[in-house]
Order: sequence, then structure tokens, then C-alpha cells
Amino acid sequence: MQIHKYDTVIVGAGGAGMRAAIEASPRSRTAVLTKLYPTRSHTGAAQGGMAAALANVEEDNWEWHTFDTIKGGDYLVDQDSAEILAKEAIDAVLDLEKMGLPFNRTAEGNIDQRRFGGHTRQHGEAPVRRACYAADRTGHMILQTLYQNCVKQGVEFFNEYYVLDLLLVDDPEVTLASGEPGKRVAGVVSYELATGEIHVFQAKSVIFASGGAGKFFKVTSNAHTLTGDGQAAAFRRGLPLEDMEFFQFHPTGIWRMGILLTEGARGEGGILRNKDGERFMEKYAPVMKDLASRDVVSRAIYTEIREGRGCGPEGDHVYLDLTHLPPEQLDAKLPDITEFARTYLGIEPYTDPIPIQPTAHYAMGGMPTNNDGEVLADNDHIVPGLYAAGEVACVSVHGANRLGTNSLLDINVFGKRCGINAAEYAATHEHVELPENPETLVVELLEGLRTGTGTEKVHEVRTALQESMDANAMVFRTEQTLKQAAEDIRELKMRYRNVSVQDKGKRFNTDLLEAVELGNLLDLAEVLVAGALAREESRGGHYREDFPTRDDVNFMRHTMAYREVDESGKDAIRLDYKPVVQTRYQPMERKY
Amino acid sequence: MATTETTPGAPENPGAVAPVIEPPRKRTARTPRSTRTNFELFAWLFMRLSGIVLVILVLGHLLIQLYLDGGITKVSFAFVAGRWSNPWWQVWDLVMLWLAMLHGANGLRTVINDYAERAATRAWLKALLYAATVFTVLLGTLVIFTFDPNIS
Amino acid sequence: MSTATEDKHSAALDAAESGATQHVTFRLRIRRFNPEQAAEPVWVDYELSMDPKEKLLDALHKVKWEIDGTLTFRRSCAHGICGSDAMRINGKNRLACKTLIKDVLGKPKNGVYKPITVEPIKGLTVLKDLVVDMDPFFQAFRDVMPFLVAKGNEPTRERKQSIEDRARFDDTTKCILCAACTSSCPVFWNDGQYFGPAAIVNAHRFIFDSRDDAGEQRLEILNEKDGVWRCRTTFNCTDACPRGIQVTQAIQEVKRALITRRI
Repeated sequence: MQIHKYDTVIVGAGGAGMRAAIEASPRSRTAVLTKLYPTRSHTGAAQGGMAAALANVEEDNWEWHTFDTIKGGDYLVDQDSAEILAKEAIDAVLDLEKMGLPFNRTAEGNIDQRRFGGHTRQHGEAPVRRACYAADRTGHMILQTLYQNCVKQGVEFFNEYYVLDLLLVDDPEVTLASGEPGKRVAGVVSYELATGEIHVFQAKSVIFASGGAGKFFKVTSNAHTLTGDGQAAAFRRGLPLEDMEFFQFHPTGIWRMGILLTEGARGEGGILRNKDGERFMEKYAPVMKDLASRDVVSRAIYTEIREGRGCGPEGDHVYLDLTHLPPEQLDAKLPDITEFARTYLGIEPYTDPIPIQPTAHYAMGGMPTNNDGEVLADNDHIVPGLYAAGEVACVSVHGANRLGTNSLLDINVFGKRCGINAAEYAATHEHVELPENPETLVVELLEGLRTGTGTEKVHEVRTALQESMDANAMVFRTEQTLKQAAEDIRELKMRYRNVSVQDKGKRFNTDLLEAVELGNLLDLAEVLVAGALAREESRGGHYREDFPTRDDVNFMRHTMAYREVDESGKDAIRLDYKPVVQTRYQPMERKY
Repeated sequence: MATTETTPGAPENPGAVAPVIEPPRKRTARTPRSTRTNFELFAWLFMRLSGIVLVILVLGHLLIQLYLDGGITKVSFAFVAGRWSNPWWQVWDLVMLWLAMLHGANGLRTVINDYAERAATRAWLKALLYAATVFTVLLGTLVIFTFDPNIS
Repeated sequence: MSTATEDKHSAALDAAESGATQHVTFRLRIRRFNPEQAAEPVWVDYELSMDPKEKLLDALHKVKWEIDGTLTFRRSCAHGICGSDAMRINGKNRLACKTLIKDVLGKPKNGVYKPITVEPIKGLTVLKDLVVDMDPFFQAFRDVMPFLVAKGNEPTRERKQSIEDRARFDDTTKCILCAACTSSCPVFWNDGQYFGPAAIVNAHRFIFDSRDDAGEQRLEILNEKDGVWRCRTTFNCTDACPRGIQVTQAIQEVKRALITRRI
């Protein structure tokens, strides 16, 4: 085991992690731990754009953007946070441009902008061009640009280091609502993939930017590596997770594969059609049509499919129709997604519609933070020194449903805030003493799996989890399906205790790490289902068929899930709630 | 099922960790220092330009030597002596000699750089190449300018 | 305006939508290497029965998840964006997630397919199975100053750039640093000191960016012995690029810039 000492440690090198590193590394001694090479992060898969009210092509302002974000999130958004997001969006985009990001340009040479779902002028009057973009590779360009600037600044990366545990020590001066002492961060424990060695990083401040957890669904746009390692580590250490039941299903994933086809395709004029060729979104969202918010469109698609208007021999998908758009426009604005259709489906999007279905895309929930990126230990207390940004975090700027282009914004705005704040915290505080034998938990976990002689296989348990989640906790949920999911997960957790890995070696043991990741997925899926069962209403991405309307009286509040262990060692999820911050926008009925 | 092993690979002592196989001349963490010369640029350009000139010179040479005026049968001491009494042909052959030798040598230098893996091998091969080139070029030049038609 | 009704389907769309899967049986011949167990790599065959419309990555996963968990390879996004899974498939560098089985399966002889060979990319140290040491590759990338250097006062708003100026370097912005190009280059196979196509592509992306002021320095770096002049225009890199970047052309453009600026 090795022990390293840094001022600031950043976990994850996607957009949020690297944006934080760019701020933190000149201010404090910073290490970035990442389980992938930085340019492999899933920020690179984002396509459509990054919203900011630059007003380069038409009238726009950040207040409209704030409103759209809050409305898009079905009023579960903390309104002060949304205001920060929309206001700082403009600088976030300009920062990236100055770092070298090659945005598409207008004829005047300014950053070009296009339409995107849920972004409107005058509080919902009509779609507005707000998404700054670089073809359909905006995420790729952001990831590359941030990595380039990390290279420029000589940021220290530890590539292929898996962070498996968060080290917290008690702070007796603070008492949490649960009666337990407060927590302070001491560092993290990581596993080096190349050698199998454990590395403990002692740090004054730690930023989690480890991304989402979409792999508990089967049809997902998420990478194989998005297994919620950050959320799970924090949760196991007693920190809460906020609003995990809100998961976004992107309307246009390639049928069965789930590969993302950007909403920008509809922003450029693409149309969703059912088997009769009908533009069905006109029925569901008369004003915004295909550019309604993602939860609305995803539900509309599944409603069409359920009512027998789905396409294909099994009627289990609909079409994204780009055939009426000129090929030059597709080549210039949507080159990657048209290539996906050619590569993976063998069809020509100039002339053929693309079979699509909703795909699990984004976790609105995560580690709760305040507007400075500080992670909360409960509703009223932070964990000093611990920060989170990006999909792992829940500020909450996305509420019950994130608007397209707001995640690339989120990672930049809150990544930057976290980087600055964490470095400042490190400058004014001392290291916290590491707990004794800090590596114990990780060693036990790994050795348990490595030496396990059980008969269960990781992939079988994972597939069962994904199938149950797709069947029971996706776009449409009921008490019955969610209870089924909860039962499935409970059973799978039992089976998980009996898994064994075939690779017993030290070097690049991805077999072992997949088993660890499965454990994280199971824990987080359980939280998602528990939150969804308790939320007896429909709001944004969470739709309960047995409670189809929004219930602002009982549920205008964030879910806070805690892991609790009783004396016998059995763990359970305790749900608590946190009020939503409302400033100037009163909840209204949401129509597009 | 793992059905067949097409090459044998059973270790002598399975417990020992084998070294990984390194590729030749791996780039190290050290950034190479800039030499700030245009040598490689000129060498590259020289190959293209000398190539074009050589096409004319060599084809012309072959045409005269092997085809025109009775072809190869006419080539004799007297024929060479007659040609080199004319400064035009002296310059022709001199230019052809220099360009061909430098073109060839640079090409071989490239081949050595591309294929010789160890630094010492490279140095030796290149030293040999340069020596041979200088020797041939000097000798050829000397012959062209000091050629005595009356030698017997 | 066309509408996508059932009767207007192309054969390709019908094929894409057909739920019926025709499994084929084939062998995957993988070059396995685990220095913890053996000093030499071995070729191991795995027999699989799969839908040929699936990706080669799915085949590798099938081996790892169902047959031999020790098989090790990198992968993440699984749709050709992250650049983790570049490998040599039937002797050609490709991304496993962007290669469909049917495209590398060939035609059966007497009902039997030739095995699909899978090896690690060449020219980089193999660490285990299909995993290679990427550090030298990223070192070459870092050595070409792959970041925007802009002198002068920063504008309050964005820097201006015309649509044409933006288009000038569009092709090379697509690079995902998967190393398929660099590890397909015969010069790089024998001499890892060569910057390699990927590094040059990333230098090109900035040299031809109208907002950048350090083009001269990058040209200086690539004018070295191990720079662009080592390119032999074999076009392996262009063939290998999963993003369709005209790599050799980009290298030639850097050469041309050097010649026109130096002479």
C-alpha cells in the first residue's frame, strides 16, 4: 500500500473533474484520479450542445433560461441554483471558447446556436436558439479542450486508478440531525488497475466528479464504465443521496442498442413519427412538438408503442425522421449520428427513418451539494472539504427532469466552482489525520471477491438487474412494478454475496473491478427504487401510473436517502426529505 | 470454450512474472530537444527535387549509352573519351553522380533510421554509409575532371 | 416531404428492423498474454454463436463474461466515441465497438468461417492481453503543444472566427486519441521516437486554427528528425482512423506549411 499526500484530490476526469482541475491545480497541489484515461470519459459522448443565453442569433436572456430550467425540472429545481446556472452559463461558454473550443460559427464569426428541447423564449412562447454547439460533437470538443488545457497546465493525473472508498472522520463539534457526529473528509482509497496496488490519497479537500450510474439499465446511452462508483462510496459511508428516483430517459436512442442520437437532430428539424407516419408529438405538445422536454417525449413514444402505433414487426419502436432535411445539412450539423445509423443499423438516414426508442440517459439525482459544490451530510450540515460536481452531484439544478444541453453546462459551471472552492479550502485548512488502517474496507471488499468461491457470475447478476430495472423502473412505474424491482434487487444482492471472479491476478484485473462495480450498481438501484416507491406522484422523469399527477402538497421536496446499519449489521435505506428552494417562480402546470 | 492453442506457450516456471515485451525505441517521458535546423526539411525536399532531375539525367544517359547510334556496341574507351572532352557531358555526368549518390545515401539513411533498432547499430550503419558515399563521390569527381584521353 | 410509412421501406431498414436473429458460429482467435503466468503470448481460439449484426466488442464481452473472465481489454462507451478499444482485428486496426462481426467474418468455406483474429495494437508495450501501455502515445501528444496559445488581449466576448476559418481544421478536431493510426504506422512500429500520426493530427488542429499564435513553435517541433519528415505516406493511418480523418492529408498539409513558411 502507498500513501500520497495532496492538497486537493479530484475523483474523475470527465468534464466536471477536468474543469475543476483547471481551477484547482494552479491554486493548490492537485491530483486527479481517474478510472479511465481522461479522454475516454463519457462527457465525450454528449452531442447536441451547451445552453447559454448568448443571444448571438436571436433575442434571449438568462432569466428565460432560468425559467426553462425550472419548468423543465417540473419545479423540483432549487431556483437559486438554476439562476446561478443560467447566469454563469454565458461565462462558461466564453471560457471554453477562450480555451480553444471550436464552436460552430455564425456568418458574423460568433458562436452559433441552435434549438433544443424545452428551451424557449418569453417563458414558453416558442423555441429559442440557445444551444452553443460544435456539430454533433459538442461533448467531445469540451472533453478534448479541457484535457488540452490540463496538459497545458501540467495537471497531475493518476490514470486507471479506481477510487473505491471515501475516508471520513468524525467531527465531534458538530451534531447531525441523526444525532451522529459531523464528518470531515480525510482522503480517498484507490486501486491501481495496472498493478492491483492500493493507494491511499490523503487530501485537505476532495472533489467527486465521477459521473453517472446508468448501467443499472439495459437499454442505456451510458458507457460500460458508468457504474456510480462515487455515489456508492459516499452512500456506504453514511452520506445521503438526493432525488435518485429521478432518472432521465432520452427519447432518441438507437432501437435496442440505446446509442444516443442527439436532440439536436430534432433541433435541426427532425421529426418523430409512428407507424402511420404521423407526427405524433403534435398531440402531446402542441407548441413545442418534437422539442418538448425529454420526459414528455419519452412518455409520448411509449404511449404510442403501447397503443399499437409502434413501428417494426414487433411494434416496439418509433422513427426519427431526418429524410426531409437536405443531406448537406445532415453532413454539416449531424455527421456523427448519421454515421451511427449507417454503422450500427446499416441504413442511410438521407432516405430512411431511424428506428429509435427511449434510452436511460442521465441521473438527475446524486450527492447533494449546495451552490458552492459542498457536499451535504444532512439537510443543514456540510462535510467540510468534500465537494461534488457533474452527474454524480445533485445541486439541484435539474430537479425532476434535466433539459438537454444543461448537463454540459452543469459540469462547467459547478466544476469550476468546485475547483476554486476546494483549492481555497485547502489553502486555509490542514490535513485531517487519516483513520487507522484506512485501506481496510477496500482490502476486505477486494479480497472477498478475489478469493470468493461462490457459483454466481457477475454478468448474470448484472443482466438480471438490468432486465428488472428496464421492466419495472423505467419510463412508466407503478407500485407493483417498483415492488417487484425492490424484491428482485434484494434477491440479486443475496446472489451477489455469492459471486466469484475468474481472474485472481493483480495485473489489469478488470474481472475483479466489474464485480466491484456491480456491487455499486446494486446499491444505487436499490436507492432509486426506494425513492420511487415512496414518491407517490408523477413529476418530470418519475412517472407513476397509479399516481399520474404532480402532488405539490406532499411531494414538492427532495428525497434524501441514507444508508443505515442496525446493531445486527443489517443495512436499510432511510428516506428523509429536504425542502425545495423557491425564489420567484410559482409552480404552474407544465405544458409544452 | 477455449478449444485450441495454436502456438505453445507453457512457462518453465509458472510462478515467475515475465517481463513485458517492449517495442523498440519507446518514447520516454523526456521531451526531445529542438535542434532548430531545417536539415530534415531540406533532405525531404532534396529527395523530391533530385528525383525529378535524376529522371531526366538518367533516362538521357541510358538513351545515349544504350540506344542511339548503334546502342551499347558503340561504347568504348574512345567514345567515353570523346564525350568527356565536351564540358557539357562532363557536367551532365558530374551532376548525375552527385545527385544519384546523395539521393541514394539519403534514402538508405532513412531506411536505417526506420529499421535499425539499436542506437549503436544505427551509428555504425550510418558511418559506413557516409564513408562509402564520400569515397564514391570523390573518386567519381576526380575521374571526371582528371580523365586523361591519352592514357594507355 | 417524405413520410415514413411502412410501405416505403428500403430493404436496409427492413433488415435493420427484423427481430429475427440468425446466429452464426465462428471462432475468435485472440492473442492472449499474461506476464503473471507465461513469458510468451499465445493464440487462443474461442467458439461463439452470435448474431453477426452485433459488434466485435460484444463478442469479446461474451468471451469475458461467459467463457473466460481473465480476458482483458479496455472499453467504455461502446459506440466509437471514447477511443478505448482500438485493436488489430484481422490484421487491421479498428475499434472493436465500431466493427460489426459480419464485416470481418468473410465468406464461409464448406460452411466454416475463417477465425477472426484479434491482437493488441502494435508498437506499444503489451501489458496484458489486448491492453497496451498508452503512456508513450500520450507523451507524443503532449509534446506537440496540443492546446490553444493566443497572444494579445483577451476579448470580453468570444474570439471571432469565420465559418471558413473554422472549417479549415474541422477534420482534425474529430480525433479521439484511440491510437489506431499511430499504431498502424510502419515507421512507428520500428521507432517509437517518431511522433506518429495522432500527435501530428493534433498539432495540425492548432496550426490551422486562425485563433492560435503558436503554429510556428509546433512546426519547429515537427521539423525535427522524429517529426513529419519521417512520414512515408503509406496511408495506413488514414485507413485505420475510425473517425474518418484524412490523416495522411493532414500530415502532408503540415509538411507543406513547413516548406512554404521556411523557404
